[in-house]
Amino acid sequence: MLKKFDKKDEESGGGSNPFQHLEKSAVLQEARVFNETPISPRKCAHILTKILYLINQGEHLGTTEATEAFFAMTKLFQSNDPTLRRMCYLTIKEMSCIAEDVIIVTSSLTKDMTGKEDNYRGPAVRALCQITDSTMLQAIERYMKQAIVDKVPSVSSSALVSSLHLLKCSFDVVKRWVNEAQEAASSDNIMVQYHALGLLYHVRRNDRLAVNKMISKFTRHGLKSPFAYCLMIRVASKQLEEDGSRDSPLFDFIESCLRNKHEMVVYEAASAIVNLPGCSAKELAPAVSVLQLFCSSPKAALRYAAVRTLNKVAMKHPSAVTACNLDLENLVTDSNRSIATLAITTLLKTGSESSIDRLMKQISSFMSEISDEFKVVVVQAISALCQKYPRKHAVLMNFLFSMLREEGGFEYKRAIVDCIISIIEENSESKETGLSHLCEFIEDCEFTVLATRILHLLGQEGPKTNNPSKYIRFIYNRVVLEHEEVRAGAVSALAKFGAQNEEMLPSILVLLKRCVMDDDNEVRDRATFYLNVLEQKQKALNAGYILNGLTVSIPGLERALQQYTLEPSEKPFDLKSVPLATTPMAEQRTEGTPVVAVKQPEKVAATRQEIFQEQLAAVPEFRGLGPLFKSSPEPVALTESETEYVIRCTKHTFTDHIVFQFDCTNTLNDQTLENVTVQMEPTEAYEVLCYVPARSLPYNQPGTCYTLVALPKEDPIAVACTFSCMMKFTVKDCDPTTGEADDEGYEDEYVLEDLEVTVADHIQKVMKLNFEAAWDEVGDEFEKEETFTLSTIKTLEEAVGNIVKFLGMHPCERSDKVPDNKNTHTLLLAGVFRGGYDILVRSRLLLLDTVTMQVTARSSEELPVDIILASVG
Amino acid sequence: MGLLDRLSGLLGLKKKEVHVLCLGLDNSGKTTIINKLKPSNAQSQDVVPTIGFSIEKFRSSSLSFTVFDMSGQGRYRNLWEHYYKEGQAIIFVIDSSDRLRMVVAKEELDTLLNHPDIKHRRIPILFFANKMDLRDAVTSVKVSQLLCLENIKDKPWHICASDAIKGEGLQEGVDWLQDQIQAVKT
Ligand SMILES: Nc1nc2c(ncn2[C@@H]2O[C@H](COP(=O)(O)OP(=O)(O)O)[C@@H](O)[C@H]2O)c(=O)[nH]1
Ligand SMILES: [Mg+2]
Repeated sequence: MLKKFDKKDEESGGGSNPFQHLEKSAVLQEARVFNETPISPRKCAHILTKILYLINQGEHLGTTEATEAFFAMTKLFQSNDPTLRRMCYLTIKEMSCIAEDVIIVTSSLTKDMTGKEDNYRGPAVRALCQITDSTMLQAIERYMKQAIVDKVPSVSSSALVSSLHLLKCSFDVVKRWVNEAQEAASSDNIMVQYHALGLLYHVRRNDRLAVNKMISKFTRHGLKSPFAYCLMIRVASKQLEEDGSRDSPLFDFIESCLRNKHEMVVYEAASAIVNLPGCSAKELAPAVSVLQLFCSSPKAALRYAAVRTLNKVAMKHPSAVTACNLDLENLVTDSNRSIATLAITTLLKTGSESSIDRLMKQISSFMSEISDEFKVVVVQAISALCQKYPRKHAVLMNFLFSMLREEGGFEYKRAIVDCIISIIEENSESKETGLSHLCEFIEDCEFTVLATRILHLLGQEGPKTNNPSKYIRFIYNRVVLEHEEVRAGAVSALAKFGAQNEEMLPSILVLLKRCVMDDDNEVRDRATFYLNVLEQKQKALNAGYILNGLTVSIPGLERALQQYTLEPSEKPFDLKSVPLATTPMAEQRTEGTPVVAVKQPEKVAATRQEIFQEQLAAVPEFRGLGPLFKSSPEPVALTESETEYVIRCTKHTFTDHIVFQFDCTNTLNDQTLENVTVQMEPTEAYEVLCYVPARSLPYNQPGTCYTLVALPKEDPIAVACTFSCMMKFTVKDCDPTTGEADDEGYEDEYVLEDLEVTVADHIQKVMKLNFEAAWDEVGDEFEKEETFTLSTIKTLEEAVGNIVKFLGMHPCERSDKVPDNKNTHTLLLAGVFRGGYDILVRSRLLLLDTVTMQVTARSSEELPVDIILASVG
Repeated sequence: MGLLDRLSGLLGLKKKEVHVLCLGLDNSGKTTIINKLKPSNAQSQDVVPTIGFSIEKFRSSSLSFTVFDMSGQGRYRNLWEHYYKEGQAIIFVIDSSDRLRMVVAKEELDTLLNHPDIKHRRIPILFFANKMDLRDAVTSVKVSQLLCLENIKDKPWHICASDAIKGEGLQEGVDWLQDQIQAVKT
């Protein structure tokens, strides 16, 4: 492996890397030597190394030059030099996707894989599988089958692992090799057995029954290979997780592995058990005692594995982990700092409030010695502690602040900032201290992302504090000292102070005026824009343009604007025609998960709707529906699992229509379905306009059909509706092995589950950072209010959860979090109704014996308000 | 063999190496011929269709041959040219019983002869009119007429009737090739 270069190497001129200054064109020129005879193996191997180095450094080779080099390389097969030949195999693999006609080496490789030189055989198999596409696979099938059962372990393993790779694009061919794989699975060689089981599992992974059978068969006879045991444990625990039941031979198998003679297997079993969801204390006990034993092992790797596993499950099974407290205490002083860190953070997560101070002190004694990765683990533990012991936040905050001041990489600093922000959000009394420490941090912060994030937070929270003016200095310093991205963030933060605080407005205007002269376009534009808005001194403008930003999707806006410029029209551009941004996941944090562990898949969510939009736009029947308003977040299954056909539905809402997209898979290998539609029968006045069939559904190849309906016009309030669904199609029987279908087919039908359309399908979540401002902006022209009793609900949390889910709107100002020991609560929800109308809901809840709810809804139109109230009542 | 190799190397008696291309349509018997020319302990038992190419070695009395046995299937024929430059001799094999594809063989031969890497070189070409044992095989004279071999003026060429399975006719061809190559040298 190449050593990673650090700064020092770079500065000293990089003398340590002979390949550093390679030129692609020079290397390819050198490669012409391959055409010369006699061949010099040393020289050629060295040139191949250079080519591989370039490719691995990300150098782009054009098809022509790559192909030329590749064909020159093929001539090196004349030489019998073992090193050169191995380099050729590597080059073939690396260039298989860059050069053309790489199958030219097929016969040369099959010759090597069946030849006498054992050292060539395995690598030749791997190179061969890499260049073989599904059309060529039949030609080498015979050799692959032989290689899988070859008596030389390296050959057999190579063939098995390559088969696993081939499975991805040539499932049906590789499937035919299970008999050989079966034979290899009883090999005495531990690697061969492991690889064979891996292949068998992947061939059968979609067939639960077969997987279960396989586990019981191999475990009954016992396995030689500890790796194979580990694999079987993983497979078994995955099955168990999906079944949700513990009362199964699979669990007994995992349990029995706790007594295996290999430590690796024992650890794997213990780790699998403690990670299973919903394990009882009794089931956990033996696994935990194994981990406990490992905690005092002389082998550092075992201690590390045990304490890492305990650390991960500490929040889920606190009592089981507490049982190991004594052992963990011993590890606090372990000479291996990684082990010590994990031990301390585990104790922090499970320990009592009184031990926090002691442990924090202990850990600060060697904080400077551990790597960032483990520092993040410490931050995670602190974050978890803050949720558990809100009263301790002062101690913990101090610790976080001192960490913030020390050296550290981006991930580490981000974890700290995330943690501080979440503490501020949870505990209002910590807000002021938290904000001032963050202010101090951005005075000297090298990470743009963190600086802008904190500026945003200051803009949002600062104006609501007792002494907002003290933050201005810190923010304005950024405008003077930082580069443009941070300056732009600072300008936005300043504007937010001006929009919420009349006293400060004059001085904010002065500051913004200075920014109007900035060198950077973005900074200047923002300053000019905010200045103009603020000078109007209108609350509604402030709310719409400063406090609550754009809710549309930015790529969507870009596309809509481009479209508008391509087809100029008299009408002004309508912002309502732009699809909305899907709300950032970070805002929907669930309780209990430590903040730092939350990933942010915003991008994925945004692109999903875009993909749908593109697909739907390609269907002629859907022209003229206007922009796609919302796609339901997750497809609903309309069939039970393991039935003949698998149908899942996604709902796409447009201004006046809904398109139902049915993703269908036919799991019968002796049938091809044609002309597939899903017929729908609504309970309300929806009107089915047309069916767009899936032309053909061969075995196991997913296809899509659509049903287009118009929303009720007569009674526009009745939007909640149940549709009964029936799949109609023509069946053609076919030969399971060749897939060839009969010419004649017959009509058939298949009843699907009912499909619901609810209010939530008509509303898109949006986030209003400042709900009150938004509420005022919409105004009370179409306000309606009603009071309901929620007779079946017993707690405020439950009520809040249900309302949020039912209306599909976004809870603002963290109002989805009900404080402890309160019997009243106000939930604030924001959304956009189909057609682009803002809809806001304020719901006051009162808990006596049951929950009473007063719902007030506002919108810029009457219909959305009526629909909301009709749906609740 | 290893020891002999080294010993002869030491004595400076190493045979001259020549680079030969073995071309012709698929199924004409190229691989079978080359296989037969190898020492009997290195021959493979079953001959399978070649995909791409395969490098084989055999010796005659005074030369050591390195043969690029190319695949003759349609989709690989345009890849032959990658190997023309280094070839010092060509063995072109024709299935004498495949009258139907004789025109295809001629076409491929003409393309070969007109290729810039071949056209102006005095490179010897050995033709095997193979599968002469089959009943509907035509004579080597007929093959050379069908391929218009008499038009090849600037390259030494020779045609032999052969039966690759029994090995008949092969030695005659290789002897001719050896003479040609040594003639070039002197
Ligand atoms: N009867 C007969 N069959 C031959 C002769 N030479 C080759 N074959 C057969 O022809 C088929 C194709 O041979 P092969 O060497 O693979 O042809 P290539 O594609 O040109 O390499 C094989 O089945 C051989 O056994 C021959 O001289 N006589
Ligand atoms: Mg062949």
